[in-house]
Amino acid sequence: MGTSVQVTPLSGVYGESPLCYLVAIDGFNLLMDCGWNDLFDPSLLLPLSRVAKSVDAVLISHPDILHLGALPYARKHFGLSAPVYATEPVYRLGLLTMYDHYLSRRQISDFDMFTLDDIDAAFQNVIRLKYSQNYHLSEKGEGIVIAPHVAGHLLGSTVWKITKDGEDVVYAVDFNHRKERHLNGTVLESFVRPAVLITDAYNALNNQVYKRQRDQEFIDEILRVLRANGTVLLPVDTAGRVLELILILEQYWAQQHLSFPIFFLSNVASSTIEYVKSFLEWMSDSIAKSFEHTRDNAFLLKYVSLIINKSDLENYASVPKVVLTSMASLEVGFSHDMFVELATDTKNLVLFTERGQFGTLARMLQVDPPPKAVKVTMSKRVPLVGDDLKAYDEEQEKIKKEEAVKKASIIKVEEVRAASSHLSESSKGDSMMIDPPSAVASSEVASSHFHGKMDILVDGFTPPSTSVTPMFPFFENTAQWDDFGEVINPDDYVIQEEESNHMVGNGNGLDAKPDEASVHLLLDSTPSKVVSHEMTVQVKCALLYMDFEGRSDGRSVKSIIAHVAPLKLVLVHGSAEATEHLKMHCAKHVCPQVYAPQIEEAIDVTSDLCAYKVQLSEKLMSNVLFRKMGEYEISWMDSVTEKTNEKMLTLLPPPSASPAHNSVLVGDLKLADFKQFLSTKGIQVEFAGGALKCGEHITVRKVSDSSQKAGTGAQQIVIEGPLCDDYYKIREHLYSQFYLL
Amino acid sequence: MASVMTGGQSMIPYPNPTPTAVTREGDQLVLTPLGAGNEVGRSCMHMSFKGKTVLFDCGIHPAYSGVAALPYFDEIDPSTIDVLLITHFHLDHAASLPYFLEKTNFRGRVFMTHSTKAIYRLLLSDYVKVSKVSIEDMLYDENDIIRSMDKIEVIDFHQTLEVNGIRFWCYTAGHVLGAAMFMVDIAGVRVLYTGDYSREEDRHLCAAELPQFTPDICIIESTYGVQLHQPRLIREKRFTDVIHSTISQGGRVLIPAFALGRAQELLLILDEYWENHPELHNIPIYYASPLAKRCMAVYQTYINAMNDRIRTQFANSNPFDFKHISPLKSIENFDDVGPSVVMASPSGLQSGLSRQLFDKWCSEKKNACVIPGYVVEGTLAKTIINEPKEVTLMNGLVAPLNMQVHYISFCAHADYAQTSGFLKELMPPHIVLVHGEANEMGRLRQKLVSQFSDTNTKLYTPKNCESVSMYFTSEKMAKTIGRLAEKVPATGEAVSGLLVKKGFTYQIMAPDDLRVFSQLCTANITQRITVPYSGAFEVIKYRLKQIYESVESLPVEEAEVPTLIVHERVTIRHESDTYVMMQWSSDPMSDMVSDSIVAMILNIDREGPKMTPIEEKTHEEMERMAQKVVYSLMVSLFGGVKYGEDGRLVITVDADVARLDVKSGEVECENQGLRERITTAFSRVQGAVRPLPKRQC
Repeated sequence: MGTSVQVTPLSGVYGESPLCYLVAIDGFNLLMDCGWNDLFDPSLLLPLSRVAKSVDAVLISHPDILHLGALPYARKHFGLSAPVYATEPVYRLGLLTMYDHYLSRRQISDFDMFTLDDIDAAFQNVIRLKYSQNYHLSEKGEGIVIAPHVAGHLLGSTVWKITKDGEDVVYAVDFNHRKERHLNGTVLESFVRPAVLITDAYNALNNQVYKRQRDQEFIDEILRVLRANGTVLLPVDTAGRVLELILILEQYWAQQHLSFPIFFLSNVASSTIEYVKSFLEWMSDSIAKSFEHTRDNAFLLKYVSLIINKSDLENYASVPKVVLTSMASLEVGFSHDMFVELATDTKNLVLFTERGQFGTLARMLQVDPPPKAVKVTMSKRVPLVGDDLKAYDEEQEKIKKEEAVKKASIIKVEEVRAASSHLSESSKGDSMMIDPPSAVASSEVASSHFHGKMDILVDGFTPPSTSVTPMFPFFENTAQWDDFGEVINPDDYVIQEEESNHMVGNGNGLDAKPDEASVHLLLDSTPSKVVSHEMTVQVKCALLYMDFEGRSDGRSVKSIIAHVAPLKLVLVHGSAEATEHLKMHCAKHVCPQVYAPQIEEAIDVTSDLCAYKVQLSEKLMSNVLFRKMGEYEISWMDSVTEKTNEKMLTLLPPPSASPAHNSVLVGDLKLADFKQFLSTKGIQVEFAGGALKCGEHITVRKVSDSSQKAGTGAQQIVIEGPLCDDYYKIREHLYSQFYLL
Repeated sequence: MASVMTGGQSMIPYPNPTPTAVTREGDQLVLTPLGAGNEVGRSCMHMSFKGKTVLFDCGIHPAYSGVAALPYFDEIDPSTIDVLLITHFHLDHAASLPYFLEKTNFRGRVFMTHSTKAIYRLLLSDYVKVSKVSIEDMLYDENDIIRSMDKIEVIDFHQTLEVNGIRFWCYTAGHVLGAAMFMVDIAGVRVLYTGDYSREEDRHLCAAELPQFTPDICIIESTYGVQLHQPRLIREKRFTDVIHSTISQGGRVLIPAFALGRAQELLLILDEYWENHPELHNIPIYYASPLAKRCMAVYQTYINAMNDRIRTQFANSNPFDFKHISPLKSIENFDDVGPSVVMASPSGLQSGLSRQLFDKWCSEKKNACVIPGYVVEGTLAKTIINEPKEVTLMNGLVAPLNMQVHYISFCAHADYAQTSGFLKELMPPHIVLVHGEANEMGRLRQKLVSQFSDTNTKLYTPKNCESVSMYFTSEKMAKTIGRLAEKVPATGEAVSGLLVKKGFTYQIMAPDDLRVFSQLCTANITQRITVPYSGAFEVIKYRLKQIYESVESLPVEEAEVPTLIVHERVTIRHESDTYVMMQWSSDPMSDMVSDSIVAMILNIDREGPKMTPIEEKTHEEMERMAQKVVYSLMVSLFGGVKYGEDGRLVITVDADVARLDVKSGEVECENQGLRERITTAFSRVQGAVRPLPKRQC
């Protein structure tokens, strides 16, 4: 009856693995997030690889690795070619995050999961939406409307609402209901009774301290270390929660007139802040307001210096300072190096603001008690010198030669093929032993085979396969003519402008000037290699974890879910314990149908809601008297059906007086409000033992029927007392709180 | 008692009895231009449909001052407006907003885009400062503007919002930074208000988008009527050529332009031209606007509202950080020694710096004045386009007009090609032309009429305060959900339930499902009342039986005390010697029954027991009595009524014969009209005979 909905987790259930879920709505496959972890472990993506080709659309919710990290890899290796939908900041900051990770990886290893070009390619087909923009999908997804809404966790992060035929599927992970410095809280609570809610159990067991208290502790800790001449290292993400931390620091530094330097070190630090400055409309109301009134952009940073190179810190080696570095996992990148430098000094503090991903150095350090020493691998990319360089050059030379030969052969192959296909159709099938394009990519054997032949022949020529002996190929000019002259291929004459435009457009200032240096280092062709050695670092510095993750805590998550009151609930992402806990809780208090599927376990959450559409005839509607209740208008209606055209039923007024129906009282009585109401009417009221005592003798009570599930059934109200005027007066007031239909 | 039957609701007062009448007028959509109807300036369009009211734009007329510049707000009741939408920050679209928000009883909500709001604040403060009118003519002051800022809400492009059942979103309009076209959807009828728009991409703005949906009504600007713009590159070349040749002859160039919006585009052109022509580097360009610097932050921040070209440039350096253009505060700071280019506001040369410079330069032949945009009727700029011999200066003297006047439009309004192309793509059934001078609008109307002659498109060109009505009979669809929808009813079956309306969507559901599908809930009120009574309980029972058909005694084993149930509604328990307790669940019928019981019990007490036993009537006897009543009532209604042999009543009216089954109420008759009459009559008779219907469970 309703819209069919299936949910299949591909990763990210019963644990902290990256988020990736397949939601099929009437056969249209939506991939909700496409995450990876900081270690870029390809084995995590196996389930995705099996379905990637059948995905029709990808919806991304947050600009971090756990939510979008696998996009480039999946696009390159799994053939994930569906359009991607995300908000502008998710697109932009996600791109920067991917760059940062790639560059950090690349600095210490021959990372080859994906390249910068792959990242660009993956992000090129991102369709950027605004919050509350109803985007109507077309073609296969006809009838489906997707809309991003504020999630409140990271800048631009999204709660997705997918609507088909009036039924809502809401995907809300990592939301935050609290209003923060730079973000508004989520609007999840404004969704009422969606057919399906997919949410996470990540924080189901965590409870947070009061925000102001936490901020104060955070600053106190930092100042304590700074005043003791230590350095504070804050491993952060590239472009997410770090923004909130920067604002907190900026604010306190301004208030207290502090002079300790603060650095934000990441491969893309300056680009990040530059872009963030132009995303004011995505931030909190207070930031928008301050800009509208005084044109003060909150991210015009006064105290935080943006640096993209660790060497910039050398001048401050002995100065107490705060350093925010990307790569919160401490596995690679600047944060890794900084940690190794700072860990050995007891004065220093490493302050984690989010839980480290499973299996990373950060996670190891967050256990209680922290390890005394950790083994780390120090890697460095060094330019080749001496023998290495020589060997490299030789190798390059060889490769170049081979490539040139290969290329020439391919060109020839294509020409020959084109020619031969012209000459004889029959030779087409077996004209070549291999397909030229794939020869480049894969078949080493084939190319070496060509290599051999090529040596014999004049460089670059291969015999047409139709010829028995090798001979100099001769092509007849098979130009075709029609009434207008020679048939030409217009593409040959198009000036290759697009390519350069494309480069500019594509760049979009991603590698903005300050970052060029580091990018340069990686992209320039100076031969280099990675040198690494293992070492053990004594962890003497202080380690601290404070929750600045910006997610709703367990208690709030429960109350929000209860408020949203979905008809069906799907729980994902969270430790097994947390998932079970939340599942039990929700099954008891929210809705009976709570699912927590395993990886690749497809669950059917098609709503069993019955519904059919009818047309309301003008005659019927002219007799209906609506009564207004909040944003609703409500009325009792008696009608008979009539079939007007095929499929559509029309409701007409009944021909005769319809039988009386049981009257329905509509309204929500809050005893406290009622008390107030009565006292304005001059009646003495007080609460006594859960009941409202009105006047001398009358009591009004609400009876909670425990046998009924939350969210269904009517309220039971009892009014009792002796026969007196008051009784009728209060009854009248009580009635006035309801509509009788 | 019968009246209670039909009403069924009359006993309980309702807190706010404002039933929404559904009449034909509900389908009428009325559009009234309060400004910009057959004129340019003070854009303001009032729209009402199905009890919802939207106001588009709230501008002033630049050629007038004081209250005369306002749109005709007297024509409407501001308090009824639900939503006010501002398309862009230009004075003729936004400048009466502080007045409307602060000086009228408008209580609705106001929306504009982020960048519009940021610039609105700057622009109006400047407007208040610059406009030199007497205090009583001041429409509002700085404080009103600041207060208005708190009431203005922001909307992002494509973001869909819903206020009071009105859904709306906006598209890029291209005209200036943050300019929007609003699409409003009320009960499925869509109205597009373009504001000022341009379909041509320029140096920093995107072209206006083509909406995804065809609107039912398109309210479109007609500033340029049937004129065609030259291609952008040619216009730019003319512009730079005029300037170049003037300054190379030692002349001065005055560009009267509005401080914000199009000025930024001109500055981009000039800065780029100077960059490419090093020989001009010693010629100063002045941008005389105190707003310029302050607005730069806005232009730098909202790059996401601009086109890709500017965004790409932005990555390298800020294109709005001009290298060859210097700010100019006032004429006192201006060192007028040689050739120079000055861009100054206001664009109409009414007063201010542009006028001061004009007065100074107008009689010199070498000088030039380039008018870069649309000029409003009644301003000096409009006058000099026709190149009169003489002009009147600010001080009242008459001077010869020798300077060259060039009119090169960069105003980013749609021309005829764009307008007709836009409408052709959209094909709206109703087109309303606004924001155009009467003649231009008339010409455009004629051309469009011939263009759309083979379609049903209707064109309107209302004057100010002239209402246009259109009718939209939208079909009302409802969705039956939940328990009620378990089975799709066949034709002729009855459907009864709660009809719940939210916005313009209707749902039909069973009362028990109300809580499930909406935020409303139902309630049961149980009433328990103790009535003093010291007599015998039997007396009550006896008396009740005289009044009510159904009085059941509960066996004592089930209830601990003697208990009576009247009509399955009211339970009476003999709790003690001094009182009885009555309990029932609230609904009008039960309340009525209980009231009568209370009255009866009190009467027994007063009158004392008067036991006059009468024989108990059996059920059959009751039935017979009822039948007798039915029979006699039918006779009085139809005359010829006989008992048929099968127990049915045979009713003969003239030649028609009908058979009525008294038990089931079925009527057999060949005459359709008679059958319906008998059915109705019988159901009423039944209602009279058995006023208390059985409770449905």
